[in-house]
Amino acid sequence: MSATTMTRDAASDTVTAGRRPRARACALLMTPFFVLMAVVFIAPLVTAVWLSFFTQDNAGLGFGEPEQAFVGLRSYAAVFTDPTFMNSLALILVFCLVYIPVVTVGALLLALLLDTGVARLRPFLQLGLFLPHAVPGIIAAIIWLYLYTPGISPITRALAGLDLEVNFLGVSMVIPAIVNIAVWTSLGYYSVIFYAALQAVPREVLEAARVDGAGAVLTSVLVKIPMIRSSVVMVLLFSMIWTLQLFTEPMLLSQATPAINSRFSPSMYIYDAAFTRNNYGLAAAASVVLMVATMLLSYGMTRLTGRLQRQEAS
Amino acid sequence: MSGRISRRGALGLGLSLPVLGGLSGCGPVGTSGVARSGKTQVTFWSSIRGSHEVVKAFNETHDDVEVVFNQIPTGGEGGYAILRNAARAGNAPDVVTLEYPQVPGFVIDGIAADISDLMGQDLQEKIQPEALARTTYDGRIYSVPNDLEPMLLHYRSDVFADRGYEVPTTWDEFAELGRRIRDEGEGERIAIFPTNGGTYFAGWCQQAGGQWFEARDGAWHVGLADEPTRRVAEFWQRLIDDDVVALMPDGQEFDAMLSRGQILTRLSGAWDAGAQMSARPGQSGQWGIAPLPQWEAGAGSLGDHGGSTFALTSDSREPEAAMEFLSWQVSHPDSMRARLSAGTSSMFPVVEELVGVARETFDESYYGGQDIYSLFAQEAAKVRDDWNWGPRMTSTLNVMQDNFARVPATDETLVDAVRAAEAGTIPDLRALGLTVEEQKG
Repeated sequence: MSATTMTRDAASDTVTAGRRPRARACALLMTPFFVLMAVVFIAPLVTAVWLSFFTQDNAGLGFGEPEQAFVGLRSYAAVFTDPTFMNSLALILVFCLVYIPVVTVGALLLALLLDTGVARLRPFLQLGLFLPHAVPGIIAAIIWLYLYTPGISPITRALAGLDLEVNFLGVSMVIPAIVNIAVWTSLGYYSVIFYAALQAVPREVLEAARVDGAGAVLTSVLVKIPMIRSSVVMVLLFSMIWTLQLFTEPMLLSQATPAINSRFSPSMYIYDAAFTRNNYGLAAAASVVLMVATMLLSYGMTRLTGRLQRQEAS
Repeated sequence: MSGRISRRGALGLGLSLPVLGGLSGCGPVGTSGVARSGKTQVTFWSSIRGSHEVVKAFNETHDDVEVVFNQIPTGGEGGYAILRNAARAGNAPDVVTLEYPQVPGFVIDGIAADISDLMGQDLQEKIQPEALARTTYDGRIYSVPNDLEPMLLHYRSDVFADRGYEVPTTWDEFAELGRRIRDEGEGERIAIFPTNGGTYFAGWCQQAGGQWFEARDGAWHVGLADEPTRRVAEFWQRLIDDDVVALMPDGQEFDAMLSRGQILTRLSGAWDAGAQMSARPGQSGQWGIAPLPQWEAGAGSLGDHGGSTFALTSDSREPEAAMEFLSWQVSHPDSMRARLSAGTSSMFPVVEELVGVARETFDESYYGGQDIYSLFAQEAAKVRDDWNWGPRMTSTLNVMQDNFARVPATDETLVDAVRAAEAGTIPDLRALGLTVEEQKG
């Protein structure tokens, strides 16, 4: 062991001269990243944590001079005892359970279809699939709002022609309606990720599968999907994080339907706490809770899939 | 409120569009001080219509003080957000308009100043006590009332006369008449329960003796689902279940139904008389106004609906001059004349002297010559003087309204909505550090 360390040290001594400029270049090139990370991620994070502990304090009736004070866990206690926050968490859970499977399976199917055939249409299909993702979320929400609004929507009119009365903005349809917007926006994006991963599957493996008598379906399920497992995990992670931050779509739709309230999703709760209730401590605490939940879930998911992969390998 | 005319203005409080709120960071800048002319400058922001005329009239008659006015959007449309942002930046104007329900919230945030010592005794005495009580918390005055809007029954006098309906004086009679209208008319209803109208509901609960918030003994006593409120909620729930009233938002569809004559009464503040004239000039002579039905025959309790106050901000550098303008604005006949010159309004001023001015200017022919101002005066005296609004009223009413809107689609009731509003408010107040005593109903 000591022998290897010594050779390594000796080696590093010889390259030190050439290393210094390289380290400088490295630092220079990395600086923008760290500056941006500090400004747009670390600083807001620290501010949020700080605000959740030190915030406006109004004792008693609150008619005295408000002052900034250390309030301990008061904001967190308020967040966890607020039924409207808990409702928004429950809602996001339901949303995850519907949206993530739909979008992952859908994108996977599309990518496999693209990969197996229809070679001539491929570029056209890829473009068509990817296009919705290029539409900003707010525009997409407005387009869908138009398609959902009873009275002006061609869809509801067509359905009414078939004797189907559907109110997409009603209490029971509102989650499917938002899931639909989300799927429409992200399906193409995720299928492009899957498709790129499928391109990297070695052709020999697929040939071997064909020689062994596997058809297209069997090859897809038994060969292709296991080989792009890491992409699947990535898409699951992306879609989960996206869901936890759900904001634009329900925010816009909430202007049109009472079925979406002002504290519908955790992000909307945070927005409402900060800008309607002017309760920055509460908003900051809820943000920290949401962030920790996202981190834990992401960590849990990567750990779980890592373990699964190891199990399969052994 | 009254001068703002639209019913949505009253609703805006509960409906505030959060999107706009966040975006309206840049507004006018209010800075006061001594101008080059030697006059003391006072800045004033308001969304009330006619404010421009009032300021002009003030400036023309005053040599020592000059008011600089900025029209801002109504509170619900982002006006309050503009004001809060300005206050946070330290450049709020001297005088601002606040609706009654907003007063405690702005005091807690340190924006509205305690004016008990600045406000002259004579002004305090001129203002109707029921109105002043609404801006007084824990014995201190935080805002000067401009108008007090007693809740009234606006009804289709022509239809009532045709069909021999009697104007209901109690809620039981109201329900009874509602059933008749449902059965006899073609798709007509006596009224709506506005799902986005938390302030209407608050007015009805005030009348029944509800006490949602009470600032007493150094603590906020919160009990939205108290016995009177539950009684009111259950009453309306029955009317909704029996299809006697329509459960819908106060919006375009409701406006259209009013215009088509499918809704026969509106239960709202005095200001709505003028709003009705502007919105539906073709219905001239078809409406009358009566006292709001009571829970017991002959009882004399009432809630208010709408109405505005003027507050002095803690940022104000010229509090005396600002107070001079403020007091002129709410109590001088010239101010009232100037305000009414901007258009039809049926606001009920809190200073008796101004009621005469309002009456002179108001064209009562729309109401068939009915002396509505005498009715307003009679009813305004019945408005409760012990009602407190809460520290985060927009949000409390938002949660309530969100849950009102769920009533038709779920098996939840209006009482559940009230409870939800309470549950969604308490953590908020606790997070602010306020002492909260929850009174479970």
